[in-house]
Parts: sequence; structure tokens; C-alpha cells
Amino acid sequence: MDSFGGALGGGDPKTQIMRQVQQEAAMQNARMLVEKLNEHCFDRCVPKPGASLSKGEEGCFTACMEKYMSAWNTVSKTYVARIQKESQSGAGLSNTF
Amino acid sequence: MDMSSPLANVDVSKLSDRDKQELQQFVVNESQKARIQSSIHSLTDVCFKKCIPAGGVKNGALDKYEEPCVRQCVDRFLDANLVVLRELERLRG
Repeated sequence: MDSFGGALGGGDPKTQIMRQVQQEAAMQNARMLVEKLNEHCFDRCVPKPGASLSKGEEGCFTACMEKYMSAWNTVSKTYVARIQKESQSGAGLSNTF
Repeated sequence: MDMSSPLANVDVSKLSDRDKQELQQFVVNESQKARIQSSIHSLTDVCFKKCIPAGGVKNGALDKYEEPCVRQCVDRFLDANLVVLRELERLRG
């Protein structure tokens, strides 16, 4: 996305590096999510692969993806709350995990 | 990620000492964030398996059993992690 600005040398090097690092982190995160979605939802929605994806399987996939992402958000909130609680009380878990 | 990174033409020697320091802190923070995100992925993986009944999925939202199950799954997993660490600590003497 920013290779345009990068190629033209736009922006100072520090900002360019920061932007690149953030982009790669976001990419890695998205890739991981796609991988997990496929893994879980394929397992649940296509127990016996047929000649093509049926309407039912597709519907299951949509619901499954939505549910997985809801679970991801719930986990994220709970985990972050826990890290914050523990870093305040000083119990050292946040640095091991 | 790959060799054709858009950073190929960034001249690092142009960075001031202050920039370098700032970048170093930035990378420390970003790695911390990346570690947390990767934990969230593996926790979701574990808790989805445990809390969402096997078989097809009909509804996209988490129902009233699944949602608390996921929250408790995260908390208990971390408790268990703590137990493991404490036990290892004890064994080390």
C-alpha cells in the first residue's frame, strides 16, 4: 500500500520503518485468523467433502466464521483485562505469556 | 517478510540517534503487541474447540452459554498456566 510513497522516498525513514513494521504485523495477524477460520470451520462444516460446496455448507461457513470472530473478540477482551489486572497487582504472568 | 520490501531504499544511516532510540522502543512495543496477539489466536483456538459444541454451526453470534464459557476458558487457562509455572518453580527448588 505504501510502496508508492516508499518508492518515491516520501516521508522520513523513521516513519517509513514504523509504518512497514505495523503493516507486516497486521498482515501476519490477518493471515493467522484466516488460517484458523479455515481450519475450524472446514472441520465443522464439511465433514464429508462432496462434489461441490452445498448451500448448507456455505451457510455453516458464514455462521462459523462469524462465531469464531466473536469468540476471538471475547478472548481478546478477557485476556487484555487479565493482563492489565495482573500487571497492576504485580503478579508476573504477563511477561511469561 | 520478503526481499522486495519497500524499505529497501530507506537509508538507515540518515537516522539520528534520537530516531534510532525511538525506533528501538517502537520495536519493543510492537513485539509485545505481536506476542499478545499470537496468544489471543492460540487461546481462541483452544476455547472455540471447548466451548462451541461439535458439529455444524447454525448461528453466528455466541449464545448465552458459549460467551461465558469462552471468558472462563481464557481465565482458567491462564490460572492453569500459573499453576504449571509455580510447580516448575517449586521443583527447581
